[in-house]
Amino acid sequence: MTRDILLQIAQVVTVLALAPLLQGVILQWEERVQRAQGPGIFQPYRDLWKLFHKQGVVPETASFIYWIAPVVAFTCMLTVPILIPVLTNFPLPESDMGDILGGGLILTLGSFLVSLAGLDSGSAYGGVGSSRAVMLGILAEPTLILVFVGITLLAKAMLPFVVNHLLVAQPAVYWSPAHLFLVAAFFILLLVETDRLPIHSSTHIEVYMIDEARILEYSGPLLALLKWASWMKQFILYTLFSNVFLLPWGLSVQGRAAGALGAAVALFGKFLVVALAVVFIETAQSRLRYFRYQEPLAASFLLAILAIVANQLR
Amino acid sequence: MLAAHLAPLAASFFSLLAIASLLLSFVMLGSRWLKDYLVAFALQSWLIALLSAAVGYYGGYHELYLIALLTALFRGLLLPYLILRIIRRLNVDRELHERLSPSSSLVVGALLVLFAFVVATHLGSSLGLAGTVAVLALTVMLSMKLIGFLMLVVRGEALSQILALLVLENGIFLGSQILVPGMPLLIELVILFDLLVVVACFGVLVRFLVMHAGTSSAHNLRRLVG
Amino acid sequence: MIETATTPVAALLGVILLAPLLAVLVCLGTRRPRVAEYANLIAAVLVLLAVLRLLPAALAATRTFWGGYLIVDPLGAWVLLSVATVYLLASIYAIGYMRHLNEDARLHRFYALFAGFGLTTLSGPLMNNIGVYWIAIELTTLVSTFLVCFELGRESIEAAWKYIVVVSGGISLALLGIIFFYWGGSLHLGATYDLTWAALREVAPQLNPTVALMAFLLVLVGFGTKVGLAPMHTWLPDAHSEGPAPVSAMLSGALLNTAMIGIARFIQVSDAARVGLLPRVVVVAVGTFSLLVAALFITRQMGIKRLMAYSSVEHMGVMALGFGFGGPLGIAGALYHMLGHSLNKSLMFFGAGNAMQVFHTKRISRIHQVLARMPVAGLLWLAGAVAITGAPPFGLFLSEMTILRAGLATPNAWAVFVMLLLLIVIFVGFLNHFRAMYFSPGVPADLSPVTARASSHAHPLSLWCIVPMWLAVIPLLVLGLWWPAAFAHYFAVVAAQLAGPGAP
Repeated sequence: MTRDILLQIAQVVTVLALAPLLQGVILQWEERVQRAQGPGIFQPYRDLWKLFHKQGVVPETASFIYWIAPVVAFTCMLTVPILIPVLTNFPLPESDMGDILGGGLILTLGSFLVSLAGLDSGSAYGGVGSSRAVMLGILAEPTLILVFVGITLLAKAMLPFVVNHLLVAQPAVYWSPAHLFLVAAFFILLLVETDRLPIHSSTHIEVYMIDEARILEYSGPLLALLKWASWMKQFILYTLFSNVFLLPWGLSVQGRAAGALGAAVALFGKFLVVALAVVFIETAQSRLRYFRYQEPLAASFLLAILAIVANQLR
Repeated sequence: MLAAHLAPLAASFFSLLAIASLLLSFVMLGSRWLKDYLVAFALQSWLIALLSAAVGYYGGYHELYLIALLTALFRGLLLPYLILRIIRRLNVDRELHERLSPSSSLVVGALLVLFAFVVATHLGSSLGLAGTVAVLALTVMLSMKLIGFLMLVVRGEALSQILALLVLENGIFLGSQILVPGMPLLIELVILFDLLVVVACFGVLVRFLVMHAGTSSAHNLRRLVG
Repeated sequence: MIETATTPVAALLGVILLAPLLAVLVCLGTRRPRVAEYANLIAAVLVLLAVLRLLPAALAATRTFWGGYLIVDPLGAWVLLSVATVYLLASIYAIGYMRHLNEDARLHRFYALFAGFGLTTLSGPLMNNIGVYWIAIELTTLVSTFLVCFELGRESIEAAWKYIVVVSGGISLALLGIIFFYWGGSLHLGATYDLTWAALREVAPQLNPTVALMAFLLVLVGFGTKVGLAPMHTWLPDAHSEGPAPVSAMLSGALLNTAMIGIARFIQVSDAARVGLLPRVVVVAVGTFSLLVAALFITRQMGIKRLMAYSSVEHMGVMALGFGFGGPLGIAGALYHMLGHSLNKSLMFFGAGNAMQVFHTKRISRIHQVLARMPVAGLLWLAGAVAITGAPPFGLFLSEMTILRAGLATPNAWAVFVMLLLLIVIFVGFLNHFRAMYFSPGVPADLSPVTARASSHAHPLSLWCIVPMWLAVIPLLVLGLWWPAAFAHYFAVVAAQLAGPGAP
């Protein structure tokens, strides 16, 4: 029991500790693909360190939302790893607090507060960023729900652990068109939700920015918290994608320390695979015009529908 | 019937082919470029040919090999070639004035697939076939039918309309390969031949359209009303 | 009842199918327009004679030929009669009309297509295999498309495009329905069998009701598109109004019937399948809706040929009602209506074609004082207009009354009252246009440039254009005054054959 609780804490810590590293790797690889040197993979840690030691500047118009948003967002990202298989392939004591849908809800709560904070300070950029983010959310949420429905039909359960077990135990299900389409649909969502091309811009401060605009008013430790939270969100989505959809193998089965450590390393290995694909897309794709944002999401929606259709075969 | 008693491997192979064909019709729906349509159509025909051969192999219908060969030749090579010639002559690369943007048509198409899904599930369960590849074939067949009609409605270019009609036919052909593999050879041959004649007729008509009506888009045909 | 081939009937079939085929070949072979038009005419005469000989043989027994791919049954033979009649009349009329168009260089192609159209339309009712029947219907579309756009005007090409796209799309639904029927049957008859009308009828009681119902609805929509039942009628007014007049007559009088027979036969199948009353209710509803659409568009119509086209929608609706009501009376009425409508609509399109020759316009508002400009043809046309609205003493009056009576006895009696009301609306609306064309004072000739040009080029209508009108109006009048006992017997036999276990 104690071991399980420790494992659960370890899951959270893994997410907390490795999230900046993932971001660092992706950024460096992107630069490398473009024949540039790029920052070191530990640069995000240095950024965080720097931001935490800076003084914060608070806009005069800011209300209490400005203060609580980073904290809530950060807390949400700390909560989700409890629910999903990060290191172990069996549910830990508090894992049954919520299913995939519950995890999605918590992620959305964090995003919702950040959007509110963007509006709160009353600056033009914050409003633009929030409205764009909400627009994207409106387009992306139905697809996300549909993907969850597809997974539910596939595994007859909404718990990520059940899905993981099913995919490992039955290769036929893993290779079924239903599952493959779900993977594709979720991958597009992953790109959208983790601020990647073809929707989000890769250079950060410019007119078409979305996430950067929302947090433009923040500085110092609060900004550090927000950035960290968004990297953790990316990490969590990658975890879901690798451990539940794409590569369900390589998790700790018995829950020993060595196994958990191995699982963490394996997890990072899987991320490198996913990150490679992401980097490839970021390099190959150019950013879409604002009014074509719905196209990748429509494609994702379609793939989710096809997955549900393909699910008829049992 | 064949589809109800299939080995799991064969069933998933069939379903993969069927779903891939459906995906290709979405590629046609989501693209603006006429050449993309054409490539997607040709690929779809090849998949259907593969499906015919697979059904022939697993079901023991040897005449289906012939059908597969002819499908690949006629639908996969000859028809795309004929249509490519029309495209070259027309000097039209892309759909200029679509009534519905590609992404909206994708979403509408997805909803149509859901409708087909419901109908097929209903039919399948009334026949006691739930969970077999037959239901999937029904879904894909009806979906391609509906998507073809959607393309007919939202696409104006003469060529898109021809291809939409061909998608309608492909849907039927795909479904019939799985549902009624034993259909008499003569009928299938004649339908294949019929398709060739249809495309030839359309080719002539498109030429008339450009020569005498001065347009290659059906959206400009709006003189006859009431 | 099914016997193997006997020589005379087989020979008659050979004539019916080979004569138009030969005509096609002759027309393609020669480049001389006169040869082509007579070749087509001779083929048409031969076909009608053969069909007249075929009728008693078909009544005596249902036979199949050529490995079961051809069928001669009373219903099919009756449709052949209407088709062959219209084919002959239109072939006669075409000679006069097409000469007037001054397209001699391309005329042999026109007649090749025309004979080909006759061939495909004639072969439809003879097809025993449902798949082949579908292909025959599809071929009629392809051939007639080029007849519709023969004049190569912008409007006629637009009409041809809409025609081929809408009808091909619609008819592919029928193919889907046929596949569903085949699929349903294959669960009981084994994977491979010939889907003949008889086979389908026999297996129908075992079909899964859901599949059978869905298949029937698909087939109804598919062939309904070809028949021109509303709301699938959208191609019909365009194609009928833009083709040359003889082609319009063929489209309306022959082609629609060929597709209608498919619906009639599928109604029989759906009766045998245990799907309840829904199929008939749908057929009746679609028929009524066709009447409604036709009534609305007829009253506000501006073009003379579009007026005739919407009248076709109306009459196809009436026929659908007849077949939908069913029973001996309904079927007799529908068949009688079919022949009457074929004669009458040919007459109307010939009249419209003549009016276009004289007035050089399709617009009703520019046609005045018809009787002054074309006395004989004008009178015949007026008689046809009275007849087509279902007024006595012409054939359509009798058949419409029969269908109304048949409907009263069925659960769909509501449709009878709607039909009656709409027929009255159509009567008023249709004849109002003729009142305007015949009796309203026209613009003085020297003021209107159109009529001025017309009168300067005026030449009398050729005899080829008037004789077929006589040939149509006389049988029409006879059929209105006298319902031959032989016909009554014939219809009784057809009705007995179409009556299934589930039929009313």
